[in-house]
Amino acid sequence: MASVIERNNVHVRGAGSRAMVFAHGFGCDQNMWRFVAPKFEGDFNVVLFDHVGAGRSDLSAYDPGKYSTLSGYADDVVAIGSELGLRDAIFVGHSVSAIIGVLATLKAPGMFGRLVLVGPSARYIDDVGYVGGFSEKQIAELLEFLEDNHMGWSAAMAPSIMGNPDRPELGEELTNSFCRTDPEIAKAFARVTFTSDNRADLAKVSVPTLILQCKEDIIASTEVGEFVHSQIPRSKIVILDATGHCPNLSAPREVVAAIEAFV
Amino acid sequence: MSGSEELEDLFENAPCGYLTLAPDGRISRVNQTLCDWTGYPREHFAGKRMHQFLNMAGRIYFETHIAPLLRMQGFFNEFALDFVTESGDRMPVIANAAERRSPDGELLSTRLVLLRAADRRRYERELVDARAIATRTLASERETAELREQFIAVLGHDLRNPLAAINAGARILQRSGRLQDDKELRVLDMINTTVTRMSGLIDNVLDFARGRLGGGITLSREASRPLEPVLEQIVDELRTASPKRSIESSFAILDPVNCDRARIGQLVSNLIGNALTHGAAYQPVRVGARTEGGVFELWVSNAGVPIPESAMEKLFEPFFRGDVRDSRQGLGLGLHIASQIAQAHGGKITVTSSSEETRFVFTMPTMDR
Repeated sequence: MASVIERNNVHVRGAGSRAMVFAHGFGCDQNMWRFVAPKFEGDFNVVLFDHVGAGRSDLSAYDPGKYSTLSGYADDVVAIGSELGLRDAIFVGHSVSAIIGVLATLKAPGMFGRLVLVGPSARYIDDVGYVGGFSEKQIAELLEFLEDNHMGWSAAMAPSIMGNPDRPELGEELTNSFCRTDPEIAKAFARVTFTSDNRADLAKVSVPTLILQCKEDIIASTEVGEFVHSQIPRSKIVILDATGHCPNLSAPREVVAAIEAFV
Repeated sequence: MSGSEELEDLFENAPCGYLTLAPDGRISRVNQTLCDWTGYPREHFAGKRMHQFLNMAGRIYFETHIAPLLRMQGFFNEFALDFVTESGDRMPVIANAAERRSPDGELLSTRLVLLRAADRRRYERELVDARAIATRTLASERETAELREQFIAVLGHDLRNPLAAINAGARILQRSGRLQDDKELRVLDMINTTVTRMSGLIDNVLDFARGRLGGGITLSREASRPLEPVLEQIVDELRTASPKRSIESSFAILDPVNCDRARIGQLVSNLIGNALTHGAAYQPVRVGARTEGGVFELWVSNAGVPIPESAMEKLFEPFFRGDVRDSRQGLGLGLHIASQIAQAHGGKITVTSSSEETRFVFTMPTMDR
């Protein structure tokens, strides 16, 4: 079996005694953190990785059974943490990885001393007395669309990109792999993500937690973020002056500032 | 039209939709074409965000893939979206997007070009459906093929064994010399004939089935051993099996022939069997073979009613049977298998038929080139 480091395409950079782990959400890979993570390399050991099935992870390690729950992904985070000997580290998780971080924290107490949840949602589908932002029908429509629009998505996920003269910092080899993934895996990951319900796990989180919430996020609305905040005892929420679901890309400065203030 | 009017008109009425997003993701400008396509007036777009014009799946796709990729690489080409029009219909589009940035990298705006893609989407849908069907069919075919292979292996084994027992029994009777009565001897002849025919039929059926399974005719060629004795033996067997018929043979195989001897034996057996079945009963079947100028040639001829023109081109097709005249009719696989053996050797079988003679000629290069 390949090592965890290779399996999850783990990269460790920076100089610091404390580690800061960045986890990407549904859609792309660790490149999602390219405007944020480097800012912490001076003071922290920055750990970046790809979930199995995303980016440059080992696709052969994809086990449909294991990754049919977020718990399977959390096990990988714990494995990476164990491999690197992490104690009292900071976990920064975007989107679905926010909840994966919550689960990892519960699985391995002491590994993460602080959580930063960017655009978290404990459940995407509305429920009695709970607003998730999506109806069951809408999520069913999404999953059907993934089935249906196979070509569109796979084409979108594997864009043919030449180089990028405007942005020399984006190497050609990286641009090719940003959001590329196996369409079958993307479908499965979407299913796991959008049908997950981890509301009951939030109250168990005992570490200080920062929730970063965008103002207009259709994937994880402010109400959803507020719910997470209300359930995690030692949490605080910061509403970012950013729109969309990816403030790490659209408002990296605000994200960096909020994390710096928290740690 | 002045130059700037021309440009303005090109923007507004281009055969594609244009849409510009401000740095905060809100729509700042659309062209007339997009208004016409979607049925929304221009003011309806102003200040709204892209996802408000997309279906739910498109929204999630836009937020989780397109928007991040645009930020990361500054452009994103050929992505599929469904626009929801004013009437509530879906308008499939293919879009390209690019960011416009200031020299210091600040995002100034994002431009999108949208092309209608209903036909393309339908075509893609059909491809996906076709692939799904093909995958399912393939799986079920594989299952069937496996069953068939097992069936054939069992069939071959189970049919050959009792036949071998009958054959051995007939031989013991023949050698014992106890059968003297004409009628008894005729029965013995009949048994021999039937065993030979049956054995040939089983070989042909198994070869045909294997060929259909993709295995084809496999050869184990050997040029060093003589072919003539094999042919003589086949002719002898057929003579024994059809004692009332005359089979005349003349072989002159002077050069080595790089062939599978057992297969060539099967080929000649099939051709002679065919001649015995369809040829005039009281005229001899003639068999000959020779090598000349690097070519091995083998022929089988018979007299009788010529093969009708209409049957000529179907002769070598599996299960083709001529006019059924007697119970000797086989499965219609003999000539098919013979032609398969010929092809496997890089050779061919040709046929000529007239009121004087029907002749099958097999030719192949003596050496594999």
